[in-house]
Amino acid sequence: MRTNPLRLRRATLLAGTTTIFALTATFVLGKALQHRAAATSHQIVQPEVLFEPVAQTSPQIVAEGRRLYLDSCAHCHAADATGDEGPDLHDLQVSDRYIHNLIVNGRPHEMPSFRKKLDAGKIAAITAYLRTL
Amino acid sequence: MDALIWSKVHGAMTHFPIAFAPCAAVFDAAGMLCPRKRWSRHFHAVSAWLISIAAAASVPAIVSGLVMTKGQMLGHGVLRLHHLFVWPAFAFLIGAAAWRWFSGARVWESAGFVYSALIWLSVGCVLTAAYWGGEMMIAA
Repeated sequence: MRTNPLRLRRATLLAGTTTIFALTATFVLGKALQHRAAATSHQIVQPEVLFEPVAQTSPQIVAEGRRLYLDSCAHCHAADATGDEGPDLHDLQVSDRYIHNLIVNGRPHEMPSFRKKLDAGKIAAITAYLRTL
Repeated sequence: MDALIWSKVHGAMTHFPIAFAPCAAVFDAAGMLCPRKRWSRHFHAVSAWLISIAAAASVPAIVSGLVMTKGQMLGHGVLRLHHLFVWPAFAFLIGAAAWRWFSGARVWESAGFVYSALIWLSVGCVLTAAYWGGEMMIAA
């Protein structure tokens, strides 16, 4: 291939523009889908942060989370987490931090606090399990 | 409509970039290294079409993935790890295919160092994203 600087510059510009267009289009589509999902549920979408630490997940943690879920949560949210007295917990659109705070603090007149029963590790395991639903 | 339609579309479409991007990189390298011009031309042509199909299939793969996650672009846990490699992989794939066709090189010619660099970067990201995608299926 002969290196023609003008042609290279044009190729860089066009390839870059195509890539940026593709990423922007998917970003806009993602945001639209997020807003649609939020509008049809009671959940509030939390802003996503690029450099948020990655939650540790493994089949063992998920299994431990399921055991803890069945012990502490299943009587309100149902054994399959489809909801009973409490809401359906499938496809949660909220952050790990939001779930942690909700379990620790509870919600007045709706959900008790699990501050004394579940430590951070146990809540992380439950969260890992909920993410698989 | 089948409730798992998007999951099936995602599963079907993601395997095109997973299979074709590494093959495109290998054929491009073979085209550069092969001393026989006739074979070299064939290798470059195959690489060009493979990367184009991989990039084209990555679009429905990305769209179906976004629909599955209800628009979450990062997510949490293993899904987050999957996404952290998916987005660069998508960018490199589209960039490599666009460069291949806009560089002015004929389909049987080498598209130069930039193209080679882009496809190897896309291969790294695609395969890592695929690994974490597979881990999600096993963990579930």
